[in-house]
Amino acid sequence: MTSPQIELEHVDKHYGHFHALKDINLEIGKGRFVALVGPSGCGKSTLLRSLAGLESITGGTMKIDGEMMNGVPPRRRDVAMVFQSYALYPHMTVKENLTYSMRLKRKPKEEREKAAREVAEITGLGNLLDRYPRELSGGQRQRVAMGRAIIRHPKAFLFDEPLSNLDAALRVHMRKEIRALHDRLGATSVYVTHDQVEAMTMADHVVVMREGVIEQAGAPLDLYDHPANRFVAGFIGSPAMNFVEAAVTEAGDAVALEGYDGAVLPLGRKLEAGRRVVAGLRPEHLSLGEPDKSQFRVGVGVVEFTGAASYLSSAGEPELTVFHAGRTEVRPGETVGLTIAPRHVHLFDPETGRRVG
Amino acid sequence: MARFIRSVRDARGLDAVLVWLALGYLGVFSAFPLVYNVVISLQTVDLFSLASFERPFVGLQNYREVLGDPVAGTVLWNTIQFVVLSVVFQLAIGFGLALFFQQDFPGATYLRGLFLAGWIMPALVVGAVWSWILAGDFGVLNYLLRSLGITDGNIFWLSDPNVSLYSVIIANIWLGIPFNMILLSVGLAAIPRDVYEAAELDGAGAWQRFFTITLPLMRAPLGAVVSLGIIFTLQQFDLFAALTQGGPSNASNVAQYWSWQLSFQTYQISYGSVVSVLMIVFVVAVAAVYTRSTRHEQSY
Repeated sequence: MTSPQIELEHVDKHYGHFHALKDINLEIGKGRFVALVGPSGCGKSTLLRSLAGLESITGGTMKIDGEMMNGVPPRRRDVAMVFQSYALYPHMTVKENLTYSMRLKRKPKEEREKAAREVAEITGLGNLLDRYPRELSGGQRQRVAMGRAIIRHPKAFLFDEPLSNLDAALRVHMRKEIRALHDRLGATSVYVTHDQVEAMTMADHVVVMREGVIEQAGAPLDLYDHPANRFVAGFIGSPAMNFVEAAVTEAGDAVALEGYDGAVLPLGRKLEAGRRVVAGLRPEHLSLGEPDKSQFRVGVGVVEFTGAASYLSSAGEPELTVFHAGRTEVRPGETVGLTIAPRHVHLFDPETGRRVG
Repeated sequence: MARFIRSVRDARGLDAVLVWLALGYLGVFSAFPLVYNVVISLQTVDLFSLASFERPFVGLQNYREVLGDPVAGTVLWNTIQFVVLSVVFQLAIGFGLALFFQQDFPGATYLRGLFLAGWIMPALVVGAVWSWILAGDFGVLNYLLRSLGITDGNIFWLSDPNVSLYSVIIANIWLGIPFNMILLSVGLAAIPRDVYEAAELDGAGAWQRFFTITLPLMRAPLGAVVSLGIIFTLQQFDLFAALTQGGPSNASNVAQYWSWQLSFQTYQISYGSVVSVLMIVFVVAVAAVYTRSTRHEQSY
């Protein structure tokens, strides 16, 4: 890989006393699709807006294509942004919206027309060029916002929760479309979302943030398989991971859960005997079985069916969620057995939340 | 009776009552005076015929006489200057201030609120204050100009026929700025911030953002402010009464003040009506433009 297109080193951002970004270090390679994900207020949007130049950073350095960007105004950064609200120019037609950047550069009319037609072709806006934004549906506005970015051939695309104003079905569709567009154009993309499913399905590289800090960055499945801490473990994956307090057994190769009759789960690895931990068990890794042929037993509290799958919630404390592909005959009030493979038992330190072993 | 009370209570009767109240008010206090004014302008009405209903109908005779009056030309030109200069400067300064207070700086909203103080004051009070500022021998303005070395002697702002109209215009501009600023501030605040951010990323500098985003999106508020500014300026009476009384020798006289002078000082009531009828025609035209401009309000 050549030198990274976007480099952030020790980036800090303060709003008065509020520390919005804390020592952010991140490298984004050319042509990569990177998702910044985290709960609201985690600093992901601030980081994106800092990249765009809409916010100034109070410490560290920010480079695009090796060029120092600190203090450079947005229009000299050659990046395009797609806003959550789309931020279309309400007094301009779709065509004028698309070619606004070219008009500012005083490009001749024929060139603008040609570019507008090309981009309309790519984004499927062909017959809407003379409409005004208020005459478009949400999905169409979304496409105009993307077209306006595409037409500039920028060094990087910045997406700020672009799909959150669309309905669920359209969101799933646009997810694929944006990713396909990215692959076709090959431009670097940075995508902010609070929806981990969006981040997981679209990005090559996911950056999980919380309270201004990068908690973990890596390939989507890496984050899923090896979450670095309890926060990432709980944030990535749906439904969320179950957490149960536990202690490592005398032999050091299994954990005893608190509650569930002290059920013992083998680990297939050695840990310090007696150590207190938090066990993370993903709902989809717990398999249902006969109570006496399983690792442990739980009473069933609620059963939900979505058609393709069933979700069971245990009656006991702490509550466990179990994902079962297909349907089940189990009813609330019954007792079921659960089994989990040793490699699927994640362990975290109860104090620091860091991954253990 | 019971049925009437029920119909009021179940709101259908109440609807009718409210509509008729409003219509009645408009009819008695707006439509009737308006029409009566037009009627008077076509009759000979003076002190002698004022009390009787049998007044000679003279057709457009009054119009010919008023427009033929040598004062009419002066008044028309003064009125044009008064309206155009007032509106242009009120708008320019008000818009400038609105843009200024749109910037994010500490205390911006409080300072903007202070500007309203001038607008809350009655125009007669404003007139009194300005008559002290503009006074020839002891006025603050003359003192200021002399101490700064800009002028040698006193300028008689209110009694010099060359400047008296402009004195009233200056006072009127001052009076109208807060209204312009607040209305335009509201318009500016309605433009989403991210539209500007998108333009910034698209490569627009501050001037380009102003001309390609702010101005076009402010078309409706600007149209409203200009139309209302013209109407308010044509209604401006108190300042003339407090400052120059249209003088000296009509040098600062404008249509609205002249109309009042004709009707209530020289009791040529028909002539006064003629002037106000002509003004009504103009104001209705402006009001039509105003309602049109608000109809096309931008939605985001």
